[in-house]
Amino acid sequence: MGVTILTPYPLQNKSGAEAIEELSKRLLALGATQAGQFLVDGDIFEHSFKKIKIHVMHNSEYPASVFSILDNGQKQIPLITDLIFDLLMLKVNPIYSSKKMIKIESKGPRFELGDFLVKLGSVTMSQNQNFKGILIEVDYRPCLVPAFCWDLIKEFLQGLLGQQAPTAIPGYFTNTLPSNNPNQHYHRFNDTYQPIDTVQQYLEHFNNYRKQSQAPTI
Amino acid sequence: MDQPAAAMDSLLQALQVNIIPNQEYLLQGSVLDTAVQRVLHRLKGLCDNVESAPEQFSDYEACFSLGSPVTDQMQAQQQPPLFLRVIRKTSEPVDAGTPFQLRYIGNPELGDAKRPTLVRASFDIACSPTICDFLTEMGCQLKFEYTIRGYLFRKGRMKISVSKIFKINQEPISQSYLVELSVLAPSGHDSVAEDMRIFAEKLKPLVLLEKIDYKRLAQMGN
Amino acid sequence: MENQINSAINAIKLLRSSVSNVFETTLSAQNNSIQDESSFLLELQDQLSTVDVNFKSIESTINALNVPSGPFTLGNTAVLNHEADPDRQGVYTDLVNSYNWYEKTHLYSALANTMLSQNSLKRSFYTSSNKRRRPTVPVNPAQLVDHMINSINTNNMTIKVYRPFGTPTSAFLHVNLSRVMKAAIILRGLVIELVTVKGFNEPLDSVDDHWIESRYAVFRKIQDHAHCAMLHFYSPTFAELATRSFITWLASYSNIFSEPCKRCQRFLLNNLPPTYRDFRSLEPLHEECRH
Repeated sequence: MGVTILTPYPLQNKSGAEAIEELSKRLLALGATQAGQFLVDGDIFEHSFKKIKIHVMHNSEYPASVFSILDNGQKQIPLITDLIFDLLMLKVNPIYSSKKMIKIESKGPRFELGDFLVKLGSVTMSQNQNFKGILIEVDYRPCLVPAFCWDLIKEFLQGLLGQQAPTAIPGYFTNTLPSNNPNQHYHRFNDTYQPIDTVQQYLEHFNNYRKQSQAPTI
Repeated sequence: MDQPAAAMDSLLQALQVNIIPNQEYLLQGSVLDTAVQRVLHRLKGLCDNVESAPEQFSDYEACFSLGSPVTDQMQAQQQPPLFLRVIRKTSEPVDAGTPFQLRYIGNPELGDAKRPTLVRASFDIACSPTICDFLTEMGCQLKFEYTIRGYLFRKGRMKISVSKIFKINQEPISQSYLVELSVLAPSGHDSVAEDMRIFAEKLKPLVLLEKIDYKRLAQMGN
Repeated sequence: MENQINSAINAIKLLRSSVSNVFETTLSAQNNSIQDESSFLLELQDQLSTVDVNFKSIESTINALNVPSGPFTLGNTAVLNHEADPDRQGVYTDLVNSYNWYEKTHLYSALANTMLSQNSLKRSFYTSSNKRRRPTVPVNPAQLVDHMINSINTNNMTIKVYRPFGTPTSAFLHVNLSRVMKAAIILRGLVIELVTVKGFNEPLDSVDDHWIESRYAVFRKIQDHAHCAMLHFYSPTFAELATRSFITWLASYSNIFSEPCKRCQRFLLNNLPPTYRDFRSLEPLHEECRH
C-alpha cells in the first residue's frame, strides 16, 4: 500500500477500448509488466425516506474488505469491514435498498513498473454496462505520505500521459477538513495514506459520472 | 488472466455452497459465583487448551437496534427490529489497530424437542472503530450496553465461555456467571449439535446447559 | 462386560496390596538393621515376584476388555468422577506443563544430536591469515553505544537500541526516518556489521526480518548504497566517529521522495527516485548521475 493518485483521462475522439490499448502499449514500451486485472465497484444503498446514502464499495486490491461511506448530506463516515458486511446490507433491505441503476464500476488491466502500480480502468454504469470514461490509477507503493511524493508522481504521470497529465493536486487531498482546532487548517495531504483514501477518490469520480448521466433526465 | 469477480457475486456464491459459517448452535446456563471455580476446573480438564491457563477476556458490548421506518406501522409489526452488537476488546493489550467487531444475531429457533440445541443466524464482522458513529447515523438506536469479563475454553470446534456481565459502572448485574456453549458453522451442519449435547452431559450436574426460550423468559418476567 | 471389569478391579486391588507389602518389608528392614540380610533379600524377591505376577494378570484382564462404544450411562455414580476439590486438581496443570516440557526437550535434543553428528564442530572460523586481516574489535561496553545514540540528534529520526541475545558487545539499532523508511543497523562494539533498509510499512521487528530484502526496489537500492557507505566510513581506530558519520549520512534519506536529483533536476530515472547520497555533501543523486 502506498500513495495512490486517481485521475480521469480525456478520450479525445477515441473509443474507450482504443484509449486503453494505446496506454497499455505505452506502458509496455516503458518496461512495465502486466499483472492481472483489477476491479473497483460502488453500490449505493438509500434510506427509504431519510436523506441517507450508504456507499458500499469493493476494491480487488483488498479482496477481503468492504469499504462503506455513509453520507447524510452534512458529513461522511467511512467504515472498513470484512466481506461479510455485504450480507448484513441484505438484511437491512426494507430500510435501506440498493439502487441497481447507478451501480458503477471501473475495471481493466493492471501494470507493474518498478515500484509503481498503474491501473487503467474503464468506467461502466448500471447493469447494461454504459461506458462512462477512463480512470487511471497510479500507486507509488514505497511512500506513505502524499505530500512527500506528489511531485514525483506528477513527473511519472507526465511521462505516461504527456499533455493530459494533471498538474494540480487532486482536490481530495487539499480540501480542508473539520479539525479539533479551528485555527489550524487540516487536510489529508500530510496524513499517512490509508486504503480508504483510494476508495474515497474513486467515490468522488463515480459521483461525478453519476451526476453527468443524471443531468439530461432532469 | 481471469477477470476478478465482483465481490458481491463471489460472496453469494460462497453462501450458496454453504462455506460461510453463519449459523450459531447455542446452549446456555448459569452458575452461582460461589460455584464457578468448580466449573472452571472441570472445564480445564475437559477442554483442549489445558496446558495454558484458561484464556481470559474482557469485552465492551453495545447493542443497537434498527427498526423499520416509523411511518410504516403495518410493516413494523411484521418485521421485528434488527439487532446489531458492537464488541470491543477492553483487556490489554489494546492498540489503535485492534478491530471492533460487529455481530448480527438473528431470531433464535428452538425447534422441537428432538433438536438438541438452539440455532440462530449469527455472523461476526471485523470493522474499523468508526462503526459506532456509522450505526448511529444509519438510524440505529443504542438499546443497552455492558461489559463482559470471563474465561474462554475450546474443545474441537466448540467454544465455551464462562463470563460475568457488569453494568458500565462496573457493578455486577447478578450473583452468577453465564455459561455458554456454542459452535459457529455453515448451515446444514446439524451433526455438531449432537456433539454439543454430549459435551453438555459431561458438565452435569455442575451446570445445566439448556435451550433457553427467550420468549418464555420474557413472559415470566412479566 | 461387568464381570470383566470386576475382575480387572480385583486385579488392581491385588497389585496395590502386594506393592504395599513390598514397601512395608523394606521399611521394617530399615528399622531393624540387625535382621539377617540374606533372609530379607529372599523375602523381597518373593514379594517382587508376586508383584510381577499380579501386574501380568492385570495386563491380561485389561487386554480382554472391550473399548466402550459411547459414553457410559452410569446414573448417579457419574457424579463420583466430578472431583471438584481445587486443591487436588492444581497438580493437573503442572503435570501437563512438565510433560510438554519433557517432550520438547526430547525432540530438541534428538534434533541437536543429528545436527551435531553431521557437522563436525569447529572451534573457530578464522584461519591465521584471516585474523590478521580482520582485527578483533575492542570490546566496548554497552554504555558507549547508548552514549553515542543519545548524543545523535537529528530531526525526523528516532533510534532505538535492542540487544536481542543479551550480549553486551553487540546491539541492534532500529532507525525510523520520518514516515519514509526504516533501517536496522547491527553493531559489534561500535563497528557496523550489517545494515538493512526497509519501507516504513514493512516489518522489521523479528530478528529474521533483518535478513529479508525490502519488497520495494527503491529500498533495495538504498540498502546497496548503505553497504557501500558502511565500507566507506569504516575506521577501526575511530569507530564512534565512523558510525556517527554513517548515521548522519543515512538521515539524509528523509527527503528521498521529495527532493529531485541535483544533476538532472528530475525525480525519476528508470522509475527510481535519486537513491544515492553524496558521502560529503549529502546531495541527492541518481545512481547513474553521480559521475
